[in-house]
Amino acid sequence: MTRDIWKHLILILGAIVVLAPFYMMISYSFKSPGEIDRGEGGFFGRQELMVDERCMMLRDPNRDDIAAAAPQHPGKSDSEIRAAIMAEAEAECSMRPVVFNYTKAFIEAPLLRYLLNGVIVTVSIFVIQVIVALPAAYALAKLKFWGREAVFGLVLFCLQIPVHAIALPLFIMLAKVGLTNTYAALVVPWTISVFGIFLMRQFFMTVPDDLIDAARMDGMTEFAIVWRVMLPTAVPALLAFAIFSIVAHWNDYFWPRIVVTGSRDLFTPPLGLREFKGDADGSFFGPMMATATIIVTPLIVAFLVAQRRFIEGITLSGMK
Amino acid sequence: MTVLESYAIPRKTSEVNRQARTAWGLTGPALALMVLILLVPVVVAGILSLTDYSLGNPGFDWVGFKNYDRLFSRATYEKMFIATFTYVVVVVPISVALGLGAALLVNTLGRAGDIYKTIYFLPVMATLLAMAIVWEFMLHPTIGVINQTLEISCGTFLEVIPFLANGCADGFPLWLGDPDYAIWVLCFIGIWQGFGFNMVLYLAGLTAVHRELYHAAEMDGAKSAWERFRLVTWPALGPTTVFVVTISCIRAFQVFDTVEAFWPQGGGPNKSTYVMMFAIFEKGVQQNLIGIGSAITMLFLVFVMFLTLIQRWLVERKVHY
Repeated sequence: MTRDIWKHLILILGAIVVLAPFYMMISYSFKSPGEIDRGEGGFFGRQELMVDERCMMLRDPNRDDIAAAAPQHPGKSDSEIRAAIMAEAEAECSMRPVVFNYTKAFIEAPLLRYLLNGVIVTVSIFVIQVIVALPAAYALAKLKFWGREAVFGLVLFCLQIPVHAIALPLFIMLAKVGLTNTYAALVVPWTISVFGIFLMRQFFMTVPDDLIDAARMDGMTEFAIVWRVMLPTAVPALLAFAIFSIVAHWNDYFWPRIVVTGSRDLFTPPLGLREFKGDADGSFFGPMMATATIIVTPLIVAFLVAQRRFIEGITLSGMK
Repeated sequence: MTVLESYAIPRKTSEVNRQARTAWGLTGPALALMVLILLVPVVVAGILSLTDYSLGNPGFDWVGFKNYDRLFSRATYEKMFIATFTYVVVVVPISVALGLGAALLVNTLGRAGDIYKTIYFLPVMATLLAMAIVWEFMLHPTIGVINQTLEISCGTFLEVIPFLANGCADGFPLWLGDPDYAIWVLCFIGIWQGFGFNMVLYLAGLTAVHRELYHAAEMDGAKSAWERFRLVTWPALGPTTVFVVTISCIRAFQVFDTVEAFWPQGGGPNKSTYVMMFAIFEKGVQQNLIGIGSAITMLFLVFVMFLTLIQRWLVERKVHY
């Protein structure tokens, strides 16, 4: 029993180091700039009302504003009216730090757009990967044809080429055909998942031939067999592959950084966060951490909900 | 692909032909993309590494092996190799060892260990770029939580530790801004991010170790836990270890996100963290020196291929060391 306590102690120490940045990220996303600077306020901060300086600057009245407001304040001097307007503005520009941070995250940068781009890119990559890999995997596993060994050999060889490593020639080829700064550029290099082919082939090898023969007797074409017979049997393997693929591409920063320059419309979440950081001065720590939290949260929540599936999916590469 | 099937049983040869045609139809798209997206770029990089090409130029000149020559003679690239290899040599063994250690501890705790498994796996799931930015805040020399925490120890008995005593006297390290610390901080974050992945692979490996082997070892006089580990667990985990080390190496070679987040220009203080991926990005993409970028790419591929060959060789020897 005492041995177990030692084990827990060591593991808890490790857990503290692992969790520290997550704790800080969420905590910073709750706090006001002052609290972040001085390192106070505990986890949630004190959540005292704070005044948004930028909001105040925008509401600073000029002559016309004061003139326009004059009828509502009869018999007062200009400076009194000005003071009244400013007081009103201050009331409207005050908010809790947590509200400030999270609204700024969405207002200062088109975060919703970035998230949408992230979804578009990861989903299209996955769908295309399946459309390309599944028929090939079926043919390699279940059809006899001259050259099959050679094709499978090629798959095994390509398995060794990390796509990030050949990013530069890929970028040049895309630039030559004028595809940089498009969704296509974000998706194209990932359309072929050699690993997906390999994985699905291994899975299809375990599907009994009788099932396919029966389908052929029913008059199904091979094409129909792939999508109407093999696909449904492959759902567990596909789910694991989906997790593997989506996690990799939601988090990917290197490739988007290369092919998307300039236009914010194509930014994926990591690129958006990176640009936010580039613009930000110290007072924007809070909103930036709110952005980071928003980007990291979807996968973490999904992971916590379906832990076993996720660990299976991410460690798929261990099946080689 | 629209092969209409007749109900009559086809003759053997035509059946074979038909299946071959369908098979090529089904593998065709994958094959074409594999060649276009994976093989052609390798050849393109190989060719461009022998030229002085830049995007936007109408043509290029052949420069022979001058780009490679530069890689092995300029001080900048010497720093690149040092940074890359330091990172790999530090991150791989430590993250593998921590992964193994965590797996062994978690495994003996049974269900109570599951919570640690979940926690240690979180960094693997999280967007590394976002977490890098959080680490950067934490490591900030004045308002960062790490130096603020270290300052608490000033004036207490903890000052007997030389590191803390120096820090209290002359200020704590700048971490990311200090050429003596930058690469080690980078390594630390690499380990922080990757060891949970290794742990999960080892946990999978551990489920395959038979209980009887431990009993047999005990019968043979392996009394201590260490003996049992040395005689049973470690040899049984051989294949897992080969795989974990290879995949950790390939991942470590590809480190980029943290470097770019911490030092968008130039690869760290005194170029101490100028790793290969960042060099490819800076030279090839940002500075449009495609010849030199391609040469680094080729070198990178050679390293990765070399690693895979070692792995194959070890696997074929059936690794039971």
